[in-house]
Amino acid sequence: MESRVLKPVLAVYVGLFILFLYGPFIVLTILSFQQGPEGGPQFPIIEWSTYWYRHIFGLTPPSRVAPLPFGESLIRSLTLAFMTMVTSTVLGVMSAQAFRSKFKGSGFVFYLIVLGMMVPGVLTGLGTALVANTMGIERHWWSTAFVTHVVYTFPFAFLVMLAILNRFDASVEEASWSLGVPPMRTFRKVTFPLIFPGVLSAMLFAFTLSYDEFSRTLFASGRDQTLPLAIYGTFAVEIHPNVFAFGVLTTLFSFSLLTVYAVLMTMSVRRAGRAAIQEDIA
Amino acid sequence: MAEQIETAETTRNRTAYWLIAPGAVWMALFLAVPILMIVYVSFWTQTTFKIEPILTIASWKQFFSSETYIGSLFTTVRLWLIVLAATFVLGYPTALFVGLFVKSKTLSTVLLVICVIPFWTSFLIRVLAWRPMLGKEGAINILLQKAGLISAPIEALLFSELSVVIGMTQIYVVFMVGPIAFMLSRIDRNIIEAARDLGASFWRIFFKIILPLSLPGVIVGAIFVSVMVLGEFATTAALSGRKVNLLGNIIVTQVGSLKWALASVVGVILTIIMGLVIAGFLRVVDLKKEL
Repeated sequence: MESRVLKPVLAVYVGLFILFLYGPFIVLTILSFQQGPEGGPQFPIIEWSTYWYRHIFGLTPPSRVAPLPFGESLIRSLTLAFMTMVTSTVLGVMSAQAFRSKFKGSGFVFYLIVLGMMVPGVLTGLGTALVANTMGIERHWWSTAFVTHVVYTFPFAFLVMLAILNRFDASVEEASWSLGVPPMRTFRKVTFPLIFPGVLSAMLFAFTLSYDEFSRTLFASGRDQTLPLAIYGTFAVEIHPNVFAFGVLTTLFSFSLLTVYAVLMTMSVRRAGRAAIQEDIA
Repeated sequence: MAEQIETAETTRNRTAYWLIAPGAVWMALFLAVPILMIVYVSFWTQTTFKIEPILTIASWKQFFSSETYIGSLFTTVRLWLIVLAATFVLGYPTALFVGLFVKSKTLSTVLLVICVIPFWTSFLIRVLAWRPMLGKEGAINILLQKAGLISAPIEALLFSELSVVIGMTQIYVVFMVGPIAFMLSRIDRNIIEAARDLGASFWRIFFKIILPLSLPGVIVGAIFVSVMVLGEFATTAALSGRKVNLLGNIIVTQVGSLKWALASVVGVILTIIMGLVIAGFLRVVDLKKEL
């Protein structure tokens, strides 16, 4: 009875909640079309223009607003995210595979791995910087920062793979073994195709987390900035709408990456479906 | 026969060790060692330009004798509690609607996806987006003035503790919604139906059935939010105008001026707080039993 009143009230509330989540970004998008170069990062919109988008790509005449150093940092961030994705997915699959047999010390190792996603980035970043300094190792985004990124993303990949393998029917593997197929070949031909959707999710997790990772990178990387560090650099100085335009562009970019993932996922699911049908026919 | 099984098992065990070794070594070297290093360095001797491995508690004394540092310790705890409460109060009704009130699975998935989509915008951009929203000439002030609710813009909206709380709540509230909605969706609807048939009011059902059964979700969400808020420094850097200093901000400034020993002291204190908070939450609910 009361739920008849409560449900619409809650529905309205959820609408407001979503507005709360999206509001800032909507305002940011509107302001990214501010007139330039005089227009500031606030209302009212003097005149609608794409000036700040052109500004990012260096298509505007030089003005007092310096262009953002985003080109190189974007490439660095993508490379780093890719390295992190491959490493943490490989480690995640291997570790989850190991956890299928209850080996001695598995409880301890489990907590050691999960700790990686619990410890705040400032701390792992600080610790890595200290170790590197003491050992006289120079810090770079592709060495020390990469290592801390994997510490962060590997637990996610591990947990995703653990969840997948928990629901996995081991009898197909046993059938393959008993037919004399060696373990490595069984893994390649039987296990891996079956867990592939999970591998894709683990990769997506690792890539997005590393691509946007900031607090670990701040201390662990050296002079060359990654994309989040370049954005953080704009915090200190006066902000212009070019940062907003940049935010809109990176979001669109993330969505295109997400679309690639969705396409890969659908393809792999469809392939699995087709394989099942072929088996039925055979 | 028994021997054969045993050897098969030892082979499997050996394979397991080979498989786990790279991951375990990675975490030991690049997670455990750095954390221990922070503890160790916090006892090093700091001079103006360098640190030396001569053990001393000078940095610890410096932290506990400074009002600024003690103040930031309390600010961190206070902001953490406020944001935790805000994410719970704002997030629970949404989770209730998504997890319990929406009957169609598709709609509840769509709503959850809508909540997650903002995460594909860079975290720092999302924080920065609050500036044109909260500023003196920001969207909220303009809207309120147009609506005639206020005559002069509210200046305390931006570059204050309030703006930091608003920003953090918006960024982290989804981590509260997800786990709670998940637990709520697993509640057996027949229990609620039965309670209603027996004449229990909605609020009684809520406090006696729904809330207790969703508690594990609340705890998981609270752990997520706590871990992230306690280690924060970017939101305060962007939205507080240097007025709010969390322990994380202290670490960043100290590292910036190469005061590694003091930064390590703050790091150790932060680690201890985190450990206490997580242990406290896990004491409320036994997650292994619930999940």
